Amino acid sequence: MAFLDEDMGLMLRYRDGDADAFAALYSRHKGPLYRYLLRHVRNAGAASDLFQEVWSRLIAARARYEPRAKFATFLFQIAHNCAMDFFRSHANSQRSLHGNDADAQLSAAEAPEDERPDRIAEFAEQRSALLAAVDALPREQREAFLLHEESGLTIEDIARVTDVPVETAKSRLRYAVRKLKNSLATGAAAERLPLRARAI
Amino acid sequence: MDAGDELNEYLHGDSALSRQYRGESAPEPPHALDRAVLRAARGTAVKSPRLAPLAFAASVLLSLAMVAAVILSPASTKRNGDAPHVTRVRLYSEPGDTRRPSEWLAEIAALRRSGRLREAAVEMQRFHSIYPHYIVPSDE
Repeated sequence: MAFLDEDMGLMLRYRDGDADAFAALYSRHKGPLYRYLLRHVRNAGAASDLFQEVWSRLIAARARYEPRAKFATFLFQIAHNCAMDFFRSHANSQRSLHGNDADAQLSAAEAPEDERPDRIAEFAEQRSALLAAVDALPREQREAFLLHEESGLTIEDIARVTDVPVETAKSRLRYAVRKLKNSLATGAAAERLPLRARAI
Repeated sequence: MDAGDELNEYLHGDSALSRQYRGESAPEPPHALDRAVLRAARGTAVKSPRLAPLAFAASVLLSLAMVAAVILSPASTKRNGDAPHVTRVRLYSEPGDTRRPSEWLAEIAALRRSGRLREAAVEMQRFHSIYPHYIVPSDE
């Protein structure tokens, strides 16, 4: 709670013109925010753009800041909105690229860029089994997991950030945890198999 | 294990899954991003919030003046036949333009490098109109 109050205090100080307060806030939250974006949108260039956009919006909104919720909830709500804008614009650009080609359009609609197996495999190529399993989660479940792990948000906070009922947020996180545990258990079991058995 | 118990155990804190996740690499944003964000924050922090509406009005007026200067300049009123060479022009401001900021800035930098400073300036104006809050690093 002390940390929470401190963050809100720093933001209030920044609102009133103290740039050093912003530097302290930035230092605390830049890593979690960057990793949330990177692992959520799964594209390093887009993550960097979105990272800037989030802080830019926060800076632009500082004069209107009122400490109604945890600072992390405030920050990640902006990040969620930026990520959603990215996913929407990405889907639109895919549709306009494919134009009238019905097959391609159908294919794009079925598998958005960030959900395509080849793109996931490409991004996950040099990742650990756990990060690859996180990459492979459905978008909403992946986001719930990352929000909890990176910023320590509770289910209520996650519901608020993603603008869904608490039960929905809870369900997303429950599925994410179960799938990740199953993926890791399957991977560990495969590792334990003798080489000859794996070759068969 | 029951699904509810599994989630409660995970939310309780020190689960094996969380420990494993925390043991993964933890990439940080590039230093160039740090510098750009902190510079932008310092740039705005020294100004009084009460002056923000005035600054906004000034920037709108400046933008309008620059657009008017580009549209009304002699070069832009030439007929197509007067053009000494053909230049590929993209309608960057059309609604379907979904270039990412980093790609767009790279194109603007390329325009500058090739000496097309006027086009670069116009592009930068368009960029700011689409991404009004984007922090452009000073070397761009």
